[in-house]
Amino acid sequence: MKLSRWFPPVLVCAACLALGQAASAHHSTAMFDWGKEKSISGTVERYEWTQPHTFLWVAVRRAPGKSQEWGLEGMSPSWLGRRGWSRHSLSPGDKVAIVYYPLRDGRPGGFYVRITMPGGQTLEALPQRSG
Amino acid sequence: MSRSPILVTGPAALCAIALLCGCGPQGLGSATTSAAPPPPPPSPYAALAKLPDWSGVWEPAFGARPTAGRAPPAPPKLTPAYAAQYAKFQQKNRTTPGINFVSSVASCVPPGVPQSMQEPYPIEFLFTPGRVTILIETYSIVRRIYTDGGPPPADPDPTYQGTSVGHWEGDTLVVETSAILPETSPLNGISGHGEKFHVTERMRLLQPDLLEIATTRIDPTVFVEPYTTTAYYRRHRDWKIMEYVCQQNNHDALDAKGNAAFSLKHNPGE
Repeated sequence: MKLSRWFPPVLVCAACLALGQAASAHHSTAMFDWGKEKSISGTVERYEWTQPHTFLWVAVRRAPGKSQEWGLEGMSPSWLGRRGWSRHSLSPGDKVAIVYYPLRDGRPGGFYVRITMPGGQTLEALPQRSG
Repeated sequence: MSRSPILVTGPAALCAIALLCGCGPQGLGSATTSAAPPPPPPSPYAALAKLPDWSGVWEPAFGARPTAGRAPPAPPKLTPAYAAQYAKFQQKNRTTPGINFVSSVASCVPPGVPQSMQEPYPIEFLFTPGRVTILIETYSIVRRIYTDGGPPPADPDPTYQGTSVGHWEGDTLVVETSAILPETSPLNGISGHGEKFHVTERMRLLQPDLLEIATTRIDPTVFVEPYTTTAYYRRHRDWKIMEYVCQQNNHDALDAKGNAAFSLKHNPGE
């Protein structure tokens, strides 16, 4: 499955024009440092395919034998589900690299932007800006 | 022996039933002597065939202005109190890119008309006799628009989606909505409106797969003059409306002070 090719420029532009609204219209994005990409790697604990947002729980290794749980919100099934994602896209035990917008208050969480699977394929989780 | 006046048995009972159901001797007599019964009236569903084809699922096309040369929408002219509120929102939008309007919809309270038509996920239309129904995926909202020509109710209770009547002007559906709950947002960036807030929507196909909805807001407590915006929707014939239960897994409910918040609880609704 290769999602990074799924965004034709026209569609992308239509989506990016209203990125703020389209990204999460049901709530403000004030709690995230929206647009500031950060990365973590971890092991999927649980992928919740739910409304109004998907939610990804990941164990991130902090020290030998010690891991920290991260909670990452994502776009909804209404958005992702129409762009090739499904509840099967991520499974417990998957080792993933995640690009996310962090929470402003520093807690271990944020909004996931794209996810790279062990096989190397990348799943885009937000409308992409063209160009 | 005393007999209850209600308990009638035997031939008397049969007679009473026959009279009640109109199939007594007189009824039978007329059925045998008159011509065939008049044909049933035409099905009200037949009239639906004349309506335009709005089938499929319609995705809001944010930012689309497909009519060449059309000017971008002018900012609304607002009364002082609402102008201050709107300016504050615009300022926040400039200083914090990506921020959205903080409102109770984050806590799963649905938006009202007309904001419910500008949620990010698709809508669909059902045409039935005397009625158009709009199903909005986001928040699973239902709008019932009565097109049977009857007058709107005299004093309807305020509701999120208000009370709507509609009529067809050619292939344009004109929807008039009032009795919208005053705590809802009449425009992105504005919270609340007057009790007399009235919305007129003109809906038509602009292209075979592009629907245009021009929305006019009238409320002297908010808008100095009627304010019209135009939105577009793209048709997806192969999409299906999904279930959307906002309370299922909402991590974004507002905090006690009404500010945007984010829960890291596993079951945030509990």
